[in-house]
Amino acid sequence: MAISTARLPGALTQRPQRGGLRRVLGPDHRMGYLFVTPIVLFVLSLVAYPFGYALYLSLTHKLVGLPPVFVGFENYIRLSADGFFQRAVVNSAIFTFGSVGFKLVLGVVMALVLTSNIRWRSFWTGVLLIPWVAPTVVSALNFLWIFDGSLGVLNYLLVRVFRILPQGVGWLSEPHTAMASVIAVNIWRGFPFFGISFLAGMKAIPVELYEAAAVDGAGMLQRFRHVTLPGLKNIMIIVVLLSTIWTFNDFQIVYILTKGGPGGTTMVMPVLTYETAFGAQRLGEAIAVALYLLPLLAITIMVLARYMRKGRKR
Amino acid sequence: MDRRLHALAEQLDAHLISRREFLRRSAIVTGSAAAGLHVLGSMAHAQGPKLRVWLFKSYVTAGNDILAKQVEAWAAERKVQVEFDWATFGDREQKFVAAVEAGNPPDIAEMNYQGPMRYRPALRDVTKLAKDLAAARGGMLPFAERVVQLDGQYSGIPRLVFGGGLHIRKDLVAEKGLKMPKVYDPDVLDVARKCQDPSKDLWGFGQTLNRCDDGNGFMQNILWDYGGGTWDKDGKPALATTFLKQNLAAIQFAVDTIQKHKVQPPGVMSWTDVSNNEAYMAGKLVCTNNGASLYYAMGAKNHPLYDKTQVLLTPGGPAGAFVASNPYTWGLFKASKHAELTEDLVRWVEDEKRFEEYMKACSGQAGPVYKVRAEHPYWKTNPNYEGMLQNILRGVWIGYPGPITPAAIEVQAQYILCDMGGRIVVGGLSPEAALKEAHKRVEEIHRIRSRA
Repeated sequence: MAISTARLPGALTQRPQRGGLRRVLGPDHRMGYLFVTPIVLFVLSLVAYPFGYALYLSLTHKLVGLPPVFVGFENYIRLSADGFFQRAVVNSAIFTFGSVGFKLVLGVVMALVLTSNIRWRSFWTGVLLIPWVAPTVVSALNFLWIFDGSLGVLNYLLVRVFRILPQGVGWLSEPHTAMASVIAVNIWRGFPFFGISFLAGMKAIPVELYEAAAVDGAGMLQRFRHVTLPGLKNIMIIVVLLSTIWTFNDFQIVYILTKGGPGGTTMVMPVLTYETAFGAQRLGEAIAVALYLLPLLAITIMVLARYMRKGRKR
Repeated sequence: MDRRLHALAEQLDAHLISRREFLRRSAIVTGSAAAGLHVLGSMAHAQGPKLRVWLFKSYVTAGNDILAKQVEAWAAERKVQVEFDWATFGDREQKFVAAVEAGNPPDIAEMNYQGPMRYRPALRDVTKLAKDLAAARGGMLPFAERVVQLDGQYSGIPRLVFGGGLHIRKDLVAEKGLKMPKVYDPDVLDVARKCQDPSKDLWGFGQTLNRCDDGNGFMQNILWDYGGGTWDKDGKPALATTFLKQNLAAIQFAVDTIQKHKVQPPGVMSWTDVSNNEAYMAGKLVCTNNGASLYYAMGAKNHPLYDKTQVLLTPGGPAGAFVASNPYTWGLFKASKHAELTEDLVRWVEDEKRFEEYMKACSGQAGPVYKVRAEHPYWKTNPNYEGMLQNILRGVWIGYPGPITPAAIEVQAQYILCDMGGRIVVGGLSPEAALKEAHKRVEEIHRIRSRA
């Protein structure tokens, strides 16, 4: 219904006389500033300032107890040519994508099992959540004992009980098994998050879709491919995104199990940052290590976020 | 919320009191609470100044208890409040870094050998105290002096050196009719090969090259044993230059114990500092290098291997037998407002009677840093203590044959030598390539630290 402005009372049709901001933001805009200021200050002091300061420190030569000396991009340039750092980047990629890939598959399997007609579903859900709920430090220390070459339970089972191997394996000391072991622990710890998220996503998929697909003659695999997976797509993206960030920044598992050793085989970026900060006590360079791949992570997040928004619009 | 304020708020809600009355009464309550806190604060001040003391929590717990009691006794005598904090191998440096960077270090701290060099900007010059203490104790032992003193200025007070050596199963050696080893090659290898029995999970030698203090110590010692080292006599990097030939031989031997001679247990490259202690006490090793904490732990637990263990001088190589004697030190921080008290506390705990009490509880771990303490009859009460003492007395310092420098400390702290061994055993590099790679890292550290 069209309303002619000529018929409205003068007070309503009167345009603001002055103040562009008042016109745009409304008559209470000053009060608005008052309300917003505390949270803006809070965010600036807790996020923007530390981040800005960290960025500045990464451009300095900063040793513990001494004032920083500005060196521009020297730390970043030096890192780019450092073989140890380059191996840490590659190790981080292997650790992150290896872990996330397996967690994704296991998470889907877990969700599918828990949506099927199994007995004691709640019990199994609780059991499968234990790795996620248990403190990482405790889990990692347990695995340190499990993987121990001399006294570990894994070698004991494989050699003494089941007699599968003639001699124990140095799980955390061999080139191929060290990285696989830390990835395995990360998968063990992280897959319940995938599973429980997918479980929630599957429950939100209308049953009618499955029924319609069944009527159209779709088998179990086809229903999974054409109904379940599209229904889970957005959740998968979010979960993979979060897990990629968490796994990339995972420090505790690698540090407790191997400290990045042996010989740098499992050295990942967070452990290298820590070693540079507290071992070498070069704080500027340590922050440069931490920030080096930040742009790449930020771009990945933006691309995924945009993809999700596109999906929602469709 | 204070229960009185809570009651007032309820009365206000129930309209039993006016808002004006609520404000008046709550102001009285708040004011009186503040005044009370002030009185409490004054009372606390009346109890004397407060000192923050950071101590090192070693595996020898009896020593920790005695030191804490001595500090408490001093505090009671001087009417000082003491706030203790303990740090151990895994969290010590992190705490120091955080405290120094925040400008809030403790008044006094027990640091390792790296402390005086690393935290020098935050530490007080204690030259007079160090010289006084040393003069009264026959002088400082050379390795201790090197660690705390730079250009004539003392940044720390040495306290003790961890005793230790090669812990070896004398029952197994005697069973095979072998002699106790003096050098790694061929003595240790010979004992290890003849005494081990992999089918029973008993291994000849347990020595990790992994990133930990044990790995660091062994790698540094073995380079010296073969006539090499990380630094030349002028303090310049020498891994793959001056000492290339000697270092190659040394590192080849270290790697061969795992790959060629197969006298080390599976998983040794993932060991941390406690792994060899555990493996030895579980009866899975013939011999292993360790500090006195292993011997102490067996004694404290009445372990059956205590009487079957002999602690020998750390074996050597073609150029001699070398170990780094790395003293623990007292660091007195500039930021402290109680400089005189911290010096007084050091004098108190370093008093010879008190140190003797501490030393006797430490089962060889509290090795001497002063000449007088090296002559104490305690070291002759047990042949194993005698071995530990001799190991300490022949010790050199990190950076040897050059001076101890911040760069030499950082090479240790970054486990460069351990990584070098790991790159060969696990990474598949040739010894020469690993040496050159490590040398490059050492040069970089030298460059950065020289600039600082």
